Amino acid sequence: MARPQRWDAPFGPEMTDTDVERLLTLPEIAAIERGKFPNHTPLVGVIKNDSRLVRFEAGDIVVREGDYGNSAFLVVTGKLRVVLAPKLPRELIGRQSSRRKGLLEALSQIWTNRVIPEVRDTQRYTDQKLRGSATDLARSQVFLQDVPAVLVDHKTAELGPGTLFGELAALGRVPRTATIFAEEGAELLEIRWQGLRELRKYDAGWRRKIDERYRQNALKVALRESPLFQGLNETELQEVANATLFETYGSFDWHVSYKRMREQGKAEQEPVIAREGEYPDGVLMIRAGFARVAAKMGNGQRTLTYLGAGDTFGIDELWAGRDGTDVSLQTSLIALGYVDVLRVPAPILEKFVFPKMKAPPAPLIERAGRPLTEDAPMEWAVEQRFINGTKSMLIDLNLCVRCDDCVRACASTHGGNPRFIRHGPTFDHWMVANACMHCADPVCMIGCPTGAIHRSISRGAVVINDTTCIGCGTCANSCPYNNIRLVEIRDVGGRPIRDPDSQKPILKATKCDLCETNPGGPACVRACPHDALRRVDFRSGDIFRSLG
Amino acid sequence: MRAEHAISIRYFTLLGIFVAAIIAFTLHAIEMPNHLQRPEFLTGYVMFGLMLLVALLNVRKKLSMVPIGRAAYWLAGHAFFGVMLIGLYFVHTQTIWPEGGYERAFAMMVYLVTASGLAGYALQRISPRRLAAADLEIIYERIPAELAEVRRKVQAIVLESTKESGADTLGRHYLESLSWYFRRPRFFVPHLFGLQAGQHWIRFQVQTIERYLSAAERAQLTKIEGLALYKDKIDLHYALQSVMKYWLLIHVPLAAALLALMFWHIIAVNVYAR
Repeated sequence: MARPQRWDAPFGPEMTDTDVERLLTLPEIAAIERGKFPNHTPLVGVIKNDSRLVRFEAGDIVVREGDYGNSAFLVVTGKLRVVLAPKLPRELIGRQSSRRKGLLEALSQIWTNRVIPEVRDTQRYTDQKLRGSATDLARSQVFLQDVPAVLVDHKTAELGPGTLFGELAALGRVPRTATIFAEEGAELLEIRWQGLRELRKYDAGWRRKIDERYRQNALKVALRESPLFQGLNETELQEVANATLFETYGSFDWHVSYKRMREQGKAEQEPVIAREGEYPDGVLMIRAGFARVAAKMGNGQRTLTYLGAGDTFGIDELWAGRDGTDVSLQTSLIALGYVDVLRVPAPILEKFVFPKMKAPPAPLIERAGRPLTEDAPMEWAVEQRFINGTKSMLIDLNLCVRCDDCVRACASTHGGNPRFIRHGPTFDHWMVANACMHCADPVCMIGCPTGAIHRSISRGAVVINDTTCIGCGTCANSCPYNNIRLVEIRDVGGRPIRDPDSQKPILKATKCDLCETNPGGPACVRACPHDALRRVDFRSGDIFRSLG
Repeated sequence: MRAEHAISIRYFTLLGIFVAAIIAFTLHAIEMPNHLQRPEFLTGYVMFGLMLLVALLNVRKKLSMVPIGRAAYWLAGHAFFGVMLIGLYFVHTQTIWPEGGYERAFAMMVYLVTASGLAGYALQRISPRRLAAADLEIIYERIPAELAEVRRKVQAIVLESTKESGADTLGRHYLESLSWYFRRPRFFVPHLFGLQAGQHWIRFQVQTIERYLSAAERAQLTKIEGLALYKDKIDLHYALQSVMKYWLLIHVPLAAALLALMFWHIIAVNVYAR
């Protein structure tokens, strides 16, 4: 077998050389200096393999506010509209309007739950606003039926040919900030994050454009939220923002290599952001993703803690060396999956931040003095990437009597079929069960063609709108922890529902929704008679130590 | 330690309430005849109320879709009120073993329900730790499939060994002894009591056959031994999970019988009290 190459699986296999030639004449692409691209990654290759042409009809939603995406869009032809205010109703963009059941309604599930699980009233699927694709489910679109009414009722702005959008969400792995729909038939060039990264890396124009937008839109907000920069006034903050560098580490598709690691038991080399022993040239601030702080230990790296969005690294050493003494990094910072980092140069810190800053708390390296066994569960949670979860199902096996009351409680609140499996990776007497962890970085939400999987407004849980889910399996395939399941649905008579053309069963993605619509929170937690089951956020301190 | 600490505080609080309540109630019941009152009706109806409350745990399990308190609190209440009932029973009857067939049947039920409840409670406190220490986690319903998979692997190894060596030594030993072990869960009782009979049996089988095998066959035997030890852990899960599931088949029917006797007792007492 030949060694797999980067572009073996192009983003849009249907892209032709003619398409590429045409795209190269677009002013935004024609302005790119092809000579700056290395031979192994030519511009033509990036356009052909890391982008694809997508067509939208009037009313098609291109991106939805709150969605996660891994691509940006360049308008080639046609007109789009970005919704400014008021926001489009959630139902209109394919979201679920989650209403919490009353006590009696919840109780009525005793007699309304059917013996056969996964029964659906098919009537509610008939009025869904989906423009389907029989051959490629992932290309199905949610669309707005009455575009003129939307234009009247909502303040919108036009996006014409040459407009680039979605690049900050794609590179920064943050939710889309606005909904954009096609006002008329439009052709867009969709560039996946790998291509976008190359364009930013090799072309000064694109880099300037993307960085300027980030500086304008998000950087100052990110800096202001950090305790490190809170004493700074507007002018000083602007100075810091102007000097800040953007960096990304790791793979956007980290879940793919992570799944491989779980299957084969072999961890891949994680990219080192800052290495122990080197001199820090600035403080690193995590903007998105996770990184672990590690110290050399024998032949390995011992995890001391992990950092998430807003956390900083390197401040201990820079603070200690502010009088001019050279202090090298005491620990390494290693990317866990995809990490988006801001680097604030040391001279800027010395000029604006240190004069107003109090001494930082105890240096992270002091944690290396703790016994290894104390940190072992945390090391495991980091290795398994459970730190991504905000509501992971943690079971204390010393207390769990394996009665499955939690499973039955889940089934009774979800139409007779549980939304998790009481099984999963174990360490010592802890188990993280196969239940949706409602991740901080929800890779399952990337690529959902209809926006059916989304964060609920009420509690921030990742939920699936059953009405707009088309059962394409994108979310289930993306979930690094295998916590999403596709189920075959049945009609109210208990008969399997099949597609009339292909006779294939209709599937729906299902997962734990934290009992979003049920009163009282997750039924699994309430149902455990031995307090063995908790929903935990691994990022909120040392969970294992607090639980015992 | 904090979680267990919290649970201990909860239990000790409940225990304190239990002790205080029973002392207060006993003193009151003792004092009642001095005021020309009969304590039996009061203690009897309190027992009746507590029995219904304790029985509600089963209803709570069916109502997990409504927020009526965490099952952990219900179970704690179930255990403490259950123990309180024994004390109340002595206050009510003023004897350990009453006269009369019906009364003795009632007393027997009270003792059996309490004993089975306490035994179950102890089982549920001890067994999970033993399972966690086994370093294997398996869903009870998956055990037959897992055992079949282990058996298939062992048989494949035996067949491969026979094919490669041309000798039937390992195959014969499998048919004579090992197949018995791999057929279904074994050493149920020893596993319940924490004995290592399964591991001992495996060691004995390995030592018995080892001397007759070639180097290549010994390597295959080592693989079989690994699978046998793995099955031993599954057997442990089977034994302990079975007991944790099925002790309720003793406790619940006995409790139902006690409730039935109690209802009959209340009817009889009220009829003959007139």
